[in-house]
Amino acid sequence: MDIRHHPDDDLLLARSSGHLPVGMRLVLASHLELCPLCRERARALDAVGGLLLDELEAAPMADDALARTWARIDAHESAEPAPVRVSAPPPLPPGARWPRALAHCSATPWRWIGPGMRWSRVSVPEDPAANVFLLRIAAGKYLPQHTHQGQEFTQVLHGCFHDGRALFGPGDFDAADAEINHQPVVQDGSECICLASLDGRLRFDGAIARFFGALVGM
Amino acid sequence: MTVVSPDSPPSPRLDDLWAQAMVAVAQRQDRDAFAQLFSHFAPRIKHYLMQSGSPAIQAEELAQEALVTVWRKAALFDPARAAATTWIFAIARNLRVDALRRRQGVQSSEDAVDFDLLPSDDPAVEDQLHDARQNERLRGALRLLPPEQQQVLHLSYFEDAPHARIAAQLRIPLGTVKSRVRLAVAQLRRLMEH
Ligand SMILES: [Zn+2]
Ligand SMILES: [Zn+2]
Repeated sequence: MDIRHHPDDDLLLARSSGHLPVGMRLVLASHLELCPLCRERARALDAVGGLLLDELEAAPMADDALARTWARIDAHESAEPAPVRVSAPPPLPPGARWPRALAHCSATPWRWIGPGMRWSRVSVPEDPAANVFLLRIAAGKYLPQHTHQGQEFTQVLHGCFHDGRALFGPGDFDAADAEINHQPVVQDGSECICLASLDGRLRFDGAIARFFGALVGM
Repeated sequence: MTVVSPDSPPSPRLDDLWAQAMVAVAQRQDRDAFAQLFSHFAPRIKHYLMQSGSPAIQAEELAQEALVTVWRKAALFDPARAAATTWIFAIARNLRVDALRRRQGVQSSEDAVDFDLLPSDDPAVEDQLHDARQNERLRGALRLLPPEQQQVLHLSYFEDAPHARIAAQLRIPLGTVKSRVRLAVAQLRRLMEH
């Protein structure tokens, strides 16, 4: 896979320092799964965190801290393992693959939101308010022109779109914010499926488009 | 602050020792090795959590919980893929994020997806390794950063609402914080490549 668009250092640092909202982190994780380059970059930033942690002064622990930790460990080992929760995601076309990052999430069936446009809401157990969704748009169709209140992270799972700035294909990651006004247009030849998360809402240019946005909670 | 060239032979290989302790926990459930990890990391994790806003009692609890996770997940630790400090930091960081979320009234999940769960499907890159040796070089590289870059990096990892608060704290514009952070990361990358 030829990945051309990667998250920048700011985002990877926000991830490593634990400052990304859950939904954004999930989209980024789905990029890291596919991209050894960014995985390496992210790991290096985790390593920086590790070294800074290592060099911190020690805060004194309670006298019985180790004993209590052993007690917790022993209690854990006799406890039943929690059942793994996996909900069936909506079907994908041949050749597309669900990110493992979504394995603990659930997603609704594909829902019609316009001609050639379908949508699936992803529920993230650790943050029910996280705005994460899948978009499935037919070849030649496009999302209405919009800008963003907060940030919009997008990971392309299948197919390609061009948003006036660049062409995005499978494995590519995009971060758009208030400074970006774009109109993602799916290229001819194949439908496009993206995983996206919004921190804040989108602002659509036209009235019909605003209605569309309200429809899917974007 | 001692200045260590990234190329100088690393002296006491602490990272190696921690990695060995991790492996001993994973393979033999070695309680002495775990006690060593505990006495080094638990107090630092507690400090880390207190710095990012947890009250002392909660930080104590979470630091213990972090070490419980170290014990339980030790088998997932691969010394060829990450230094022990990296791996333990990721656990502490996830706990900190969870604690913040709980303070906001959201349920937590301990199954955050992280590197220990990700496939290593590209041996060429994995071989460039972030093992203990690589980590020693990174330690050297960190010390070569200009002090103002070290400072923003440090605050980025340890403050709760980082960039805006850092800007206020240092009385510099937000844009300056962001550019220092970017410079620091780029500089680290350069130092690591040589
Ligand atoms: Zn990448
Ligand atoms: Zn957008």
